[in-house]
Amino acid sequence: MKFIPLIIRNVLRNKIRTLFTGSSIAMSLFLVVLLYSFLMIQDEILEATKPYNRIMVTNVQGLTGNLPIAYLDRIRKMDEVRSAIPFSWFGGRYREETIPFAQFGTDSKYVTDVLQEYKVPDDQLDAWQADKTGCVVGALIAKNKGWKIGDKIPLKGDIYPVDLELTVRGIYDGDSTVDREQLWFHFEYMDEALKAKQQPMAGNAGIVMLRAKSGPIMPELMEKIDKQFASSDAPVRAMTEKEFQQSFMEMMGSVKFFINVISGIVVFSLLIVAGNTMAMALRERTREVAVLKAIGFGRGTILGMVLCEAVIIGLLGGVAGALGAKLLFATVDFSRWLTGFGFLYVPWRTALLGLVLAGFIGLASGIIPAWRAAQLSVVDGLRKIV
Amino acid sequence: MIPIKYNLRSLWARKVGSLMTIASTGIAVGASVFALGLSAGLDQTLEVSAGPLDIIVLRQGSSSETASGVSEAVAREILALPGIATDQQGRPLAAPELVVVTYLPRRGNAGSANVTIRGALPVSRDLREGMKVVEGRDFQPGLREAIVSRKLAGRFEGLGMNEEFVVQDKSFKVVGLFEAGGGATESEIWTDQKVLAQVANRTGGTSSVQIRAASKAAQETLLNHIKADEQIALKAITEVQYFADQAQAGLVLRLLGQIIAFFLTIGAMFAVANTMYGAIATRAREIGTLRSLGFGRGSILTAFLLESLVLCLVGAIVGCLASIALTKLFGGQSAGTMNGVTFTEIVFAFSFGPNVLMKGALLAVFLGVVGGFLPALRAVRMKVVDALREV
Repeated sequence: MKFIPLIIRNVLRNKIRTLFTGSSIAMSLFLVVLLYSFLMIQDEILEATKPYNRIMVTNVQGLTGNLPIAYLDRIRKMDEVRSAIPFSWFGGRYREETIPFAQFGTDSKYVTDVLQEYKVPDDQLDAWQADKTGCVVGALIAKNKGWKIGDKIPLKGDIYPVDLELTVRGIYDGDSTVDREQLWFHFEYMDEALKAKQQPMAGNAGIVMLRAKSGPIMPELMEKIDKQFASSDAPVRAMTEKEFQQSFMEMMGSVKFFINVISGIVVFSLLIVAGNTMAMALRERTREVAVLKAIGFGRGTILGMVLCEAVIIGLLGGVAGALGAKLLFATVDFSRWLTGFGFLYVPWRTALLGLVLAGFIGLASGIIPAWRAAQLSVVDGLRKIV
Repeated sequence: MIPIKYNLRSLWARKVGSLMTIASTGIAVGASVFALGLSAGLDQTLEVSAGPLDIIVLRQGSSSETASGVSEAVAREILALPGIATDQQGRPLAAPELVVVTYLPRRGNAGSANVTIRGALPVSRDLREGMKVVEGRDFQPGLREAIVSRKLAGRFEGLGMNEEFVVQDKSFKVVGLFEAGGGATESEIWTDQKVLAQVANRTGGTSSVQIRAASKAAQETLLNHIKADEQIALKAITEVQYFADQAQAGLVLRLLGQIIAFFLTIGAMFAVANTMYGAIATRAREIGTLRSLGFGRGSILTAFLLESLVLCLVGAIVGCLASIALTKLFGGQSAGTMNGVTFTEIVFAFSFGPNVLMKGALLAVFLGVVGGFLPALRAVRMKVVDALREV
């Protein structure tokens, strides 16, 4: 403990070098924390949806298959089902935007029960239910696009050959794990428009989302749903919300693998950078270390002091990089530029992971220089001219 | 001018430090090139997919074949339009094609994804430059047989030679593997149109009409003609435009690549600066000597900037080579992601073209100059007397 001032002195001895090494670590860790946040948010969201016991039903052929809307009533009648809604991806174009945001055709009566953590004020919910062409939007997307209640949102059909002219009747909100970038409209509105055009696509719910009465009955219920429609024209597959979201991540393909590769490379690179710094620092201090040893400092003490110094430098970078990322994403709202692939924030877990990683990088980078300093022979060290 | 040999020798004299710096710049540049190569590969795949004279006809409002639909009667009308190129037998080079999506498991338990199946006509083949069956044979019309892109075959269960996969509840046999010059066709399964229409309940209609125009002028006329016909409610766009729109699908990857390159480069810049500061501090006397021999401030500055440039360029070359070699070694020739427009898997090869390598080189130069500038400035500012006196 009494050596702490000495260690800090050593850290601050060459301020520019410490600053640069710390900055190098900070920059790279910022990147790693950012990349991992992308992955970890998915996990955090999945975890948060667990208490709601939601099940997604699609055609066996996946999202592009047909799921007749008539199935919805049959699913609702099952004893284990608490509530169920259609959840049709519309994928329409808004103005000149090329990538569609999430728009779902659903059932205004049950949506707030199935998606309970999505909060819509009661009066707004009533207003939506009263307006056939009304819609409800997430708080985040409403902010980014500047939508207020009463605004018109025209959507040009892409997957479906009909256009929708929607009016914002409500804005839902929720905590950070809730996707607040969706738009909900009445499934009926879209379906009637399709029927009017005599489109064969009419009557397709695409996805039915339901809420089971309790968690333990879910596997049984999913099996029951699969069986019930197995021999129909459109056999279905039921999966938990978690499985459904994961299948989406899987469709993104190798992204996860690349994030792991890049992060691994970055950490390795940081080991070299920090190791080089510590080696340089100790090369300059060879004589000093010899003096310390000559006046009675033990090997263990020298080793510990150098390692401490390395860890402090690593952590300095970690605090700036990992906590910096956390802070930046907590204060600045980047969602405006990130529409299309969800919302990004830095979970505490990721920030702490970054910090631990920084400490580890510091420690590992200090091992060789510290070992060499500890092994230094006093006579050679004193004689050495750097 | 101080001869560059002096700098090279100095780098050699401090091997470990130099090597470490080379390694850290190499990793930064290599990883950036890796990430940039990924998104460039996706762009390139979509780019080479487009024939300059080709037109694709879709339902009005839809932006991809998977979401489009064209009735048989209308398709026949379009085939009769003037301005379509013909083959030697005088048949029009145009084909109504059916696109169906199926959900298949990836090999190695890596989840499932949507895969595009194209119901093709014999003429469809002529509309794809460089498409050829490289293993096995072509599918026979009327049978549930299919040919699969060689790249796709390695990535999904049931798509290998002689394997079987399921569409709706009918199984198809893979009888051949094809290559198609690296374009988007290499993310597809091809089978007979009639068979696919039956299996997928899509008889009486197709997804799109692919047309090759006879000339640039004819292309313009065809586009306008189809657009002007409000009855059929179709949109015609050049294939170039069609794939350029889909390049949006690579947005996530491109953004990712740029973010990675940005942060790693800045991070490595600090490391370079550190090394150069170290180098200059230990060589204070040398610098003093050089100055007293008559070398000016300018030449000292250039010398040290050159030294840091050399470090970074060597690092960049090592990094690029390692990145390319590792990608080749670990089967990175083919990567896959979801096309955000069609929601189907798109398979592409990494592309380390001149464009990407140029960016890598630029990063290295940036690293060298910016990272080396402050330290070099310090070397210049040293007073000769102090420098000579330093231990």
